[in-house]
Amino acid sequence: MKTHGRISALRKMKCFPCQFANTIKSAQFTTSALMSVSFFDQADIISTVEFNHSGELLATGDKGGRVVIFQQEQENKTQSHSRGEYNVYSTFQSHEPEFDYLKSLEIEEKINKIRWLPQKNAAQFLLSTNDKTIKLWKISERDKRPEGYNLKEEDGRYRDPTTVTTLRVPVFRPMDLMVEASPRRIFANAHTYHINSISINSDYETYLSADDLRINLWHLEITDRSFNIVDIKPANMEELTEVITAAEFHPNSCNTFVYSSSKGTIRLCDMRASALCDRHSKLFEEPEDPSNRSFFSEIISSISDVKFSHSGRYMMTRDYLSVKIWDLNMENRPVETYQVHEYLRSKLCSLYENDCIFDKFECCWNGSDSIVMTGSYNNFFRMFDRNTKRDITLEASRENNKPRTVLKPRKVCASGKRKKDEISVDSLDFNKKILHTAWHPKENIIAVATTNNLYIFQDKMN
Amino acid sequence: MLGRGLKRKLSDYEENMAGLSSAFDSSRNLPYPLKRQLVLNMCLTKLQTYKMLVEPNLHRSVLIANTVRQIQEEMRQESNQQPVNVCAGITPSTHSYTGMESSGISLQLPSGISQQESNCCDLRSAEDQIENSLLIVSDDDMSSAISSILKDLDFVEDISPPTCLVPTGDDQPKFPENAGLKLEDDRQDLKGAECVFGSFEISNSTSYLKDLAIDDIFEDIDTSMYDSDFCCPPLTPPRPPPLATEEPLKTFPSCNSSSANNIQICRTDLSELDHIMEILVGS
Repeated sequence: MKTHGRISALRKMKCFPCQFANTIKSAQFTTSALMSVSFFDQADIISTVEFNHSGELLATGDKGGRVVIFQQEQENKTQSHSRGEYNVYSTFQSHEPEFDYLKSLEIEEKINKIRWLPQKNAAQFLLSTNDKTIKLWKISERDKRPEGYNLKEEDGRYRDPTTVTTLRVPVFRPMDLMVEASPRRIFANAHTYHINSISINSDYETYLSADDLRINLWHLEITDRSFNIVDIKPANMEELTEVITAAEFHPNSCNTFVYSSSKGTIRLCDMRASALCDRHSKLFEEPEDPSNRSFFSEIISSISDVKFSHSGRYMMTRDYLSVKIWDLNMENRPVETYQVHEYLRSKLCSLYENDCIFDKFECCWNGSDSIVMTGSYNNFFRMFDRNTKRDITLEASRENNKPRTVLKPRKVCASGKRKKDEISVDSLDFNKKILHTAWHPKENIIAVATTNNLYIFQDKMN
Repeated sequence: MLGRGLKRKLSDYEENMAGLSSAFDSSRNLPYPLKRQLVLNMCLTKLQTYKMLVEPNLHRSVLIANTVRQIQEEMRQESNQQPVNVCAGITPSTHSYTGMESSGISLQLPSGISQQESNCCDLRSAEDQIENSLLIVSDDDMSSAISSILKDLDFVEDISPPTCLVPTGDDQPKFPENAGLKLEDDRQDLKGAECVFGSFEISNSTSYLKDLAIDDIFEDIDTSMYDSDFCCPPLTPPRPPPLATEEPLKTFPSCNSSSANNIQICRTDLSELDHIMEILVGS
């Protein structure tokens, strides 16, 4: 797909990409690896980031209901050592704010999740959802248009039929590339509570949507009904003690899905067992460490994200302070636990007071399931190498990105003497949080979203 | 924006709270009951704030309610283990935990405790006395705070009742003679479930609406459309939910709580809504 003269279908991007082609040395992974950076200034708060199955496209959703899709440039033959950079491909308004007149409630247009469908033909499809409604969008390219109509002029005016003396067959002529997004399905009115997850099944025909208390199963072709497969709403709402926080289908078994809860448990369900999967097949829960017990233990155990590995053998969960890797065959404890920002454990009361303790961080796997990544505060994000057990903290910030600088790994000083270049816990900026990160399915390319900015880091191979 | 909750303004109280929470984090010398009380205050304040919002966050409310319950349970267990001794020398400021006088708590309680250290022989019993006096004041408030916030969360009309299918094969293999019984139980459960949801729909959020003046709810809504002639259909219904015809009737009974004024307004709106429903249904 060539990229001359794009026109976004519905709305022009307010801020065009500012490209700083930096090279950043990453010392931990390979000795001669370099990372180049693309940087985009978004008009609104980014609320979700997702690569498609090939990694060529990267979609972001924001608080204003817009979806912006970036496309990777074709590899430059002359610069074969560097991968193509990402440029804006399409922008469209996915959801609009709505007002529910009967309940006197405003329905936010913020995009909570985007999930891509695998590509089956020339067009691309993705699901985007806000709190209440899921939409299937088709993104297609048009680079030809018919010319030579008999009854219409080129500018669209109708010709007087009496002036037509000969007939001709319209032909397709090339035109500037236009990327169009059109909503193909709208899945609405199935959720009383706020949708927090959508996940496409490996059969590529069905998908699930999860809100705080229920999970529904949809068929992509059918919009007027869905099946409720999980319902944890108690008969008496006063007895409610647990909500669903995330859900995902298994990448290979089309009958298996998991959902996580606010109590730190993950339930694996098999849809073959019953129509209503209220009884789990497996319950994953780690017993609490009594030495870490505090008033906030339950709050920080609430799982904010769950992701299966690409292999399907493991799943990863993110709670407030850690990332845990679970083997699906072992329910009583995770096989690996990585501390993201343990230095915050002694600050929990302040973080509770300013509501930061409720921040929902996401996590992601790299393509080979050897590295996991998640975000933190102060625009830091962390990567954990499962094989070498090494970890690194990096910062996504404009100030640190000058052309050809080496980006240093960052370190937070928990207590005691602060070494040079370390940052003390008290000077962390808790308003700068990285909640959404994504890793390219095949290459070492990552997308990191700060509040308003999208950073794309590439691992430059020699 | 319509329907948004009230914005919290930074107040002296909040500044004090920020100071208190960092004191909680940094100080190791703070006695456990005091820490617990501080957390409890914060929880209840948050729940109160959420109560004022049009649509409180269910996830957060549940987490905070659980924390309150846990603290409540802990305090109950402790009070069951120790006798309640009300000491005359307890400073009255300890009763103000629900009020916005946390500055009183932060400044006076530690000194109050140290005063009692010198006055009473047993420090532990003094702290327990403070605790117990607080406990007496707080238990009902906490329970009612939790119940009301969770009840309010269900004021959202439930459009997808659970699919309580008759479980023919999904349970453990049953003996044939129990199968008939089980089916009957399920039918009764289904009816029971429907009754529960039925009662929810009527009894929802009386406390929620009691707190707000009825005018505040309606002042944001632009009713100029409804004042004009109903024959022309300017209304484009926003994708009516499946139970559209029943919903207005279900939500409005919640209005008949406070004053006759409210009832009057509700009745007028009810008849207007009937009118609107006729138009929407197209009769």
